[in-house]
Amino acid sequence: MMQHRLSSALWFCAPFVVLLVLWTVLIPYFNVNPRLFPHLGSVIQAGLEGIKDGTLIQHIGASLMRVAVGTVLALLVAIPLGIAMGVSPVVSSFLTPLFRFFSVLAGIAWIPIATLWFGYGFGAITFVIFNAVFFIVTYNTLLGVSTIPLPVRNAAASLGAGKWAMLTEVLLPGALPNIVTGIRTGLGFAWRGLIAAEMIATNVGLGYMLFVARDFYKTEVIVLGMIVIGVLWLLLDRLLLAPLERATIERWGMVQRS
Amino acid sequence: MKNLTIRNLSKTYFDPYAGTNVTAVHDVSLNVEQGEFVCIVGPSGCGKTTILNMIAGFLPHTGGDILVGGRPVNGPGPDRGVVFQSFALFPWKTVLENVAFGPKMRGVGKAEREKIAHEYLALAKLTEAAGRYPAELSGGMQQRVGVVRALANEPDVLLMDEPFASVDAQTRMTLQEELTRIWQEKRPTVIFITHDVAEAVFLANRVVALSKGRVLEEIDVDLPRPRSWDALNDDPQFKELTGRVLQLVRSA
Repeated sequence: MMQHRLSSALWFCAPFVVLLVLWTVLIPYFNVNPRLFPHLGSVIQAGLEGIKDGTLIQHIGASLMRVAVGTVLALLVAIPLGIAMGVSPVVSSFLTPLFRFFSVLAGIAWIPIATLWFGYGFGAITFVIFNAVFFIVTYNTLLGVSTIPLPVRNAAASLGAGKWAMLTEVLLPGALPNIVTGIRTGLGFAWRGLIAAEMIATNVGLGYMLFVARDFYKTEVIVLGMIVIGVLWLLLDRLLLAPLERATIERWGMVQRS
Repeated sequence: MKNLTIRNLSKTYFDPYAGTNVTAVHDVSLNVEQGEFVCIVGPSGCGKTTILNMIAGFLPHTGGDILVGGRPVNGPGPDRGVVFQSFALFPWKTVLENVAFGPKMRGVGKAEREKIAHEYLALAKLTEAAGRYPAELSGGMQQRVGVVRALANEPDVLLMDEPFASVDAQTRMTLQEELTRIWQEKRPTVIFITHDVAEAVFLANRVVALSKGRVLEEIDVDLPRPRSWDALNDDPQFKELTGRVLQLVRSA
């Protein structure tokens, strides 16, 4: 098991190693102008400097903070709302198209209105994150509740479950696999939205770091930013979200193991 | 445990496709004494599942009365345990937690309800499976859990809706034998719905033949217990009874 994990992790890294090798070889070979694309060495140096003077950490911290606050707020509203709507088939079928629409829209499309409402900075960006997570998680919660088979709800009722027990023992755990999938998808959108919003509406954060570097032709900072954005998301997804999804969905056999 | 009385029960609903009212259950009356095992048998569409759902309180009835221990039925409740054709176990709970669910809803403490659950799991030879999740069990084992989950709540009446229809034939025979054994041990009041005439005669004290929403006839089954398929397969009385019920159901 451990061995399998290790080899699959290595296999996952393999194409990136190839990419890095190509990078170190090809950029000097074709003598590419660093204003168009940086050397690997200068990117590493930019990274080390950013860590040393604390600016990189500051940008990362600001970005992660916004994601955390926006996501937690969204979940606090989305899950109860989704369950409340999912309990009634009429309400859920009426509102489903609406939430589907906003699920697709959520993200950077909210930036203009967010900056009008909240001004530039924390509020606007957190609002964008909130929307990206909120609509998808609400929709998925609603979906999750409505996919709990009627006999399962009937079984709970005939075993004496009241309204509160029905909520905590049946509806919430029954919808949980969908909720977790919703969180994973929503956070994916939120992360993309975050970078875009930070380019426009703030003066700190990874997106901002990326965008400002452009004005000074600092391609090594731009590429560093892109790498950090990608790596952070992979870590978040692989170490937090994917295991969470596995733990609920596969354990309960609600979806076939792949 | 208490008796169940059904008086002039009927169910009429509006069929939007036909554009008319359809009567699924016509004036059904039935009295089930405490500790009886009654099978309602009939072809698909005869209204047997509708009757069960009305007794369980999942469906409102449109005429007549359903009384459990003299009290009218109004929605689902723990006095009527239900075993479902689709098992309807909670996939997010272990086998033990599934069986302990009823006692938990009654407010029984954790240690005590787990003791109850273990006791009932042992009854169905499921002790080994206590810590597993339903998805890890075969269909036959899942339904054993379904049966003891309902029993562990000690309902006045146990309602079983074609519980063995979705398991394979061999497992079904084993489950039927186990059910008669458990019934003899605990003597719950059972209403068992099936379309399988042999199953009905094998299990019941009394078989109610149903067709087109009406009771055709009630037939007492006084075969000796404990019952086993080995003993009953060639039993002339068993053959005579199944033949009679089959004829009734088919002729209607």
